[in-house]
Amino acid sequence: MPKWFFPAAIVCGVLFAASPFVVANAPFEADLGLVQKIFYYHMPSAWMFLIASIVCGVASVRFLATGDYRHDRTALAAGELIVLFGLLTLVTGPLWARRSWGTFWIWDARTTASLVSWMIACAYLILRRYGGPGSEKLAAGLALFGMANVPFIYISVNYWRTIHPPTTVVPTLPFSLGFPLWFCVISFLLLFVVLLKLRIRVEEQQARVDALYLALDERS
Amino acid sequence: MKTLKRWCAVVLLLVSWGIIAAAQPPQPKGEYVPVDQLPPTESMPAAPLLITAYAFVMIVLFVYVLSVARRLSTVQQELNRLDASIKQGGRT
Repeated sequence: MPKWFFPAAIVCGVLFAASPFVVANAPFEADLGLVQKIFYYHMPSAWMFLIASIVCGVASVRFLATGDYRHDRTALAAGELIVLFGLLTLVTGPLWARRSWGTFWIWDARTTASLVSWMIACAYLILRRYGGPGSEKLAAGLALFGMANVPFIYISVNYWRTIHPPTTVVPTLPFSLGFPLWFCVISFLLLFVVLLKLRIRVEEQQARVDALYLALDERS
Repeated sequence: MKTLKRWCAVVLLLVSWGIIAAAQPPQPKGEYVPVDQLPPTESMPAAPLLITAYAFVMIVLFVYVLSVARRLSTVQQELNRLDASIKQGGRT
């Protein structure tokens, strides 16, 4: 593992342990009250979901262009993180919505596109797991559709009728509400980097195992 | 690993069941009720939703980290075993 990995993992653990206290000390939002505090985990999860989709898509493009399996391993690792952070987003969002909107789910552009993107990532992983030899290129093509969905998810609230807050809300947050948010964003970003590296490491070691099995077969 | 998968499946089933059960549409009311006469069951407290959200995030992240660590440990052991058997084969 690289030298930065263990210090980053420790800092990440400390930040995550501190984050509930930072969130608890944040003031209540005037209209939504206590339930608005779900925002501090929901939004960073959603951002990591989108970042993972972009990483998976870019790595897939590079894999298709170069045939280098290092990019394929990065794409696979990011694909798993799309499903992980997507699940967190799609569960915490409805819990917040139940109190603030009065319903768990509305089929607006952002929630629908997010669900579609998450299902594309699930399809990507299923294809990688059960697709057999050669499925990595087919899966890379699928990852491109997932990445193409990202800008649509982000800007959809500005162009379609929805009760999701627009993208202008975050930059205008006062410090008392913005500090816990950015604290959690940094925690989630660090967690994303650590998990991505750890997951890529699993794939690298698996590739070495496969190469050793081939070497043993040739020898015997 | 099988136990971990079973636990994950049970947690997912429980969460799905809870969401589906809670998502049932409310019965239509025959009359309007003034807000100060609502029974306590009608007001929805935010704390359980907040605690559920934070607990869900923490549990899922913990299970995922554990799963990746176990996968890394397994593949590392297999790698060491293969390395050893190749070295042993090289000597003979």
